[in-house]
Amino acid sequence: MKLAPVDYTILAVYFAFVLGIGWMLRKKMSTSGDFLLSGRSVPVWITSLAFIAANLGAQELVGMSASGAKYGIMTAHFYWIGAIPAILFVGIFMMPFYYGSKARSVPEYLKMRYDEKTRTYNAFSFAVMTIFSSGISMYALGKLLQLVLGWDFSVSILVSAAIVLVYTFLGGLTSAIYNEVLQFLLIVAGFSPLAMLAVAKAGGWHGIQTRLGAMTLAGGMSGKVMTHAWTYMGSPHSNPMGVELFGLVAGLGFVLSFGYWCTNFLVVQRAMAADSMNSARRTPLIGAFPKMFLPFIVIVPGIAAVALAKMNVGYSIPLDPNGAPNYNLVITTLMAKFYPAGMLGVGLTGLVASFMSGMAGNVTAFNTVWTYDIYQTYIRRNAPDRHYLNVGRATTVVGVLLSIGAAYVATRYDNIMDLLQLVFGFVNAPLFATFLLGMFWKRGTGHAAFSGLVTGTVAASLTWCLTVAEGKGGILGTVYTFPSAMAQSFWIALVAFTSCFLVTLVVSLATKPRPEKDLEGLVYGLTKIPEDRGSWYQRPAPLAVIIIAILLILNFWFA
Amino acid sequence: MLDLRVPSGWFFTVLGLILLGMGIFAPETRAALSDANVNLYSGLAMLVFGLFMLLMAWRASRRAS
Repeated sequence: MKLAPVDYTILAVYFAFVLGIGWMLRKKMSTSGDFLLSGRSVPVWITSLAFIAANLGAQELVGMSASGAKYGIMTAHFYWIGAIPAILFVGIFMMPFYYGSKARSVPEYLKMRYDEKTRTYNAFSFAVMTIFSSGISMYALGKLLQLVLGWDFSVSILVSAAIVLVYTFLGGLTSAIYNEVLQFLLIVAGFSPLAMLAVAKAGGWHGIQTRLGAMTLAGGMSGKVMTHAWTYMGSPHSNPMGVELFGLVAGLGFVLSFGYWCTNFLVVQRAMAADSMNSARRTPLIGAFPKMFLPFIVIVPGIAAVALAKMNVGYSIPLDPNGAPNYNLVITTLMAKFYPAGMLGVGLTGLVASFMSGMAGNVTAFNTVWTYDIYQTYIRRNAPDRHYLNVGRATTVVGVLLSIGAAYVATRYDNIMDLLQLVFGFVNAPLFATFLLGMFWKRGTGHAAFSGLVTGTVAASLTWCLTVAEGKGGILGTVYTFPSAMAQSFWIALVAFTSCFLVTLVVSLATKPRPEKDLEGLVYGLTKIPEDRGSWYQRPAPLAVIIIAILLILNFWFA
Repeated sequence: MLDLRVPSGWFFTVLGLILLGMGIFAPETRAALSDANVNLYSGLAMLVFGLFMLLMAWRASRRAS
């Protein structure tokens, strides 16, 4: 693929704007709270879009179109059942505790609710995970630009990392959040025309159904399996994802998705930066509206690509050097075929923007956790605020450097999405049990939470070591063989959650409870839940009802 | 606090003008698989969106002062 001067101009305009936003916000950064928490002053429409954008990294965009091509519309489960219920839950039920407790981070909430060691465990695992996510995302982008445009791997990751560094260094979390909104809008502008053009060329949704039907029938599955999200969930062998209903709903829809959206500081931080309790609660809810429709611009092009490849119109699924289909290149090859010079620049800039929003999200979350939960707790406790502002700034630089290091580490692994899933399964899945019991059961204790978390993570790793899927895992022997790696990751999450839940429950009952007055504002029943006033769109409950209605319509439509 | 609608409004206005310019003055720039003048239509949409953001920001700043 060759880019024209106009495409480079568009990329340059984008760079100028993100840096400009950082520059305009630089004067507002006078305390560590301004830099690391946005001074809790960001309007709700901005935090809502940032809430969704921080999660929409480059590996997500590339991976979701690839999954669309592999598994069809079923991939939308990652957006619908795998995100929306958890997003509603965090907004309605959990935000009163996060925002109301005045905790500065998710690990700090754990410290207030449980104890120091639970916080430390979470803070360290989160810090490592964010750096890795950021590195993997950077690696994905560098590889892609190298393959598609012939850009040098090191140059593209170093330039994009440097830009993220400059604007987060200048304007802290506010700059990251503001830019995430711009990046989100650009992703939508750069990707939605592609979905429309590709679907139209493939003969509309009906044409896609016909063409993919013939393909899956020939492959021994039902002809409707690529265009129906629920119908073929009965058995893992009747759908290309290789998962069954219970694993999907309980593993992805409950454990993995609640573990991510309700406890991951990367996304929760965006809501905590909102200007009021009401805004913090509405942040996830308002974000849910665009989230539900993202499958149409990130997954559908992948599905259309497979149909186009069957049509003899001059498009074929790109192959890797071994001759196997390389679905990770679907999105960029589609752009090359459907976008003229000009729009092609917007599309590729959208891809670069998605990478930056993901990376800035990781860096700012890492920053806050490192400065408040690790540095202020273990290294220097009672310094003046000015000192922590400088530490926050320095951590931005260190975080970016570590991410670059992680990107080079990632060059040694080929399947990035699987690695990510694995890490999420081990670390995030038990976490939701800890929060659930912490927020809704005042009897839960610190020792219990800590032992539950450790047990959950150990149980997850053991499950992985004892089961096999697609030839992976089973280091310690083979107790069970899963039909797909995805089914395995869902079940690992389930095991982690259940063991953490049970251990926390049992140990809590065996240890001394904390006095109730220590738990005010932290646990359900001991916290005043704010009363919602105003018109329907200013209150969380009516918004949630509308979201559920749209979610049901979408799922029935594509059932 | 910076009103984000201003920079994002300008951003899409600039992008829209570039694409619109391409669509009008280089209409023969087409992609392999599309017969539509993609630059023209997407440029127009971005321009309208950008101007709308600027209008909203302008109204908000007038009400504030």
